Amino acid sequence: MQRKLNYVIWIAIPILLILFVIFYFCTKNVENTFTKNLFYMDTYIYIKIENQSKEKAEEAFQHIEQIYQEYHQLADRYQAYDGINNLYTIHYNTDPSETLTLDPRLYQMLTFGKEWYVISNGKIDISMGNIIDVWKQYRTTQTGVPTLEELTLNDTGSIKDIVLLENNQIQNTHPNIDLGAIAKGYATEKVGEYLESIGITNYIINAGGNVKVGTPYQKEKYAIGIEDPNSQSGDIFKVVYGQNISVVTSGGYERYYEYNGQKYHHIIDPDTNMPSNWMKSVTIITKDSSLGDILSTLLFLLPIEEGQEFIKQFDAEAIWYTNEDTIITSEGIEIYEQK
Amino acid sequence: MNKNDQTLIGCIVIICLLFIVTLNHSDHNVAVVYYKNEIIKKIDLSLDDIKEYQVNGENGIVTLEVNRGRIRVKDENSPLHLCSKQGYISKSTESIVCLPNKIVIQIEQNNDIDTVVK
Repeated sequence: MQRKLNYVIWIAIPILLILFVIFYFCTKNVENTFTKNLFYMDTYIYIKIENQSKEKAEEAFQHIEQIYQEYHQLADRYQAYDGINNLYTIHYNTDPSETLTLDPRLYQMLTFGKEWYVISNGKIDISMGNIIDVWKQYRTTQTGVPTLEELTLNDTGSIKDIVLLENNQIQNTHPNIDLGAIAKGYATEKVGEYLESIGITNYIINAGGNVKVGTPYQKEKYAIGIEDPNSQSGDIFKVVYGQNISVVTSGGYERYYEYNGQKYHHIIDPDTNMPSNWMKSVTIITKDSSLGDILSTLLFLLPIEEGQEFIKQFDAEAIWYTNEDTIITSEGIEIYEQK
Repeated sequence: MNKNDQTLIGCIVIICLLFIVTLNHSDHNVAVVYYKNEIIKKIDLSLDDIKEYQVNGENGIVTLEVNRGRIRVKDENSPLHLCSKQGYISKSTESIVCLPNKIVIQIEQNNDIDTVVK
């Protein structure tokens, strides 16, 4: 009897353990998750696809890279590419004709930008390329700060110079256009739409300040951490939870330079031609990534109280990280705080 | 069942156990620091080998130290220094409570956070 019990224990325990390990692998490690890193639009882009076959994920990654690459080229202000009109060629072309024909995607972004000039009362201004160039030059050389005179001298762009005509045409007035507040969110939204269209719903797209997620595999909501603007090591100050949402942050802490102990970042207020300093960062949570991108830039340019009023008209929530290191949230944020 | 069988089965058991231990240990975690029920800091314990953080408690600054996936209170101002004597915690079931400073540190599993927007 004793001997029989001995046998049972000696056999049963290893079998149970082996089964446990196999079970663990079946449920956890073999979940067909694929990731891809890209670099476009000055940003590391990370994409994760869950619960798919390898072939389908690879095919999707290829197409996604193409989408980002094409938007990158269309919105590139510093370089021309064969066969397309982009922001560079709109600015510098020597074509004598009165109009240029644009890729519909670029035309759409310009239309979107012009609409938002009106909605934002001029705070979103895609015609500020000259000013952006001045600041970018100082930022890359770190040689100082542009004088008010230099900025005023370069403040020659006007939204009125961007004249969009029918059939994807633009009047050839050589405006210096900047789509920094639009292109990344737009491309990210298109990538999300593409993934949904081929039946991939379990995904994360992280394009730096732009995150877009689908529905997670094997749980209800994705958890998106928001980086602490004061942190050097990527600490998180808040986590939001949701599915099929975009989370977009604008802040002065990622791209900036220091001169005489003062920090100068890359988000320029069209009214002052200077970097905006109302807050350390603002994060928008909404469905559409292109709306999230433009709202986060706009709210970064507005005093917090004004932003709180402004965002009420949209199906979007906001989280402000103030200069005093306090956190302010919009009224409906609770739905994104529950796990 | 002879001695060899027992050795073999014993080995299998040990390998399986080692496996389970390492599997459970590999998830990197996030320490959540509360001050009076309010989250004041979240620290990814997998990021750095050794790093110090400072937060404000009721009696002044509380210094936290992260060391290879673990976190402890290194220094704080309190009568008994209970929470700095407690040492490191690393598992989601553990927590450090600094009652005089009204600081609580809890560990949450990092698979709670899927991605970070910056």
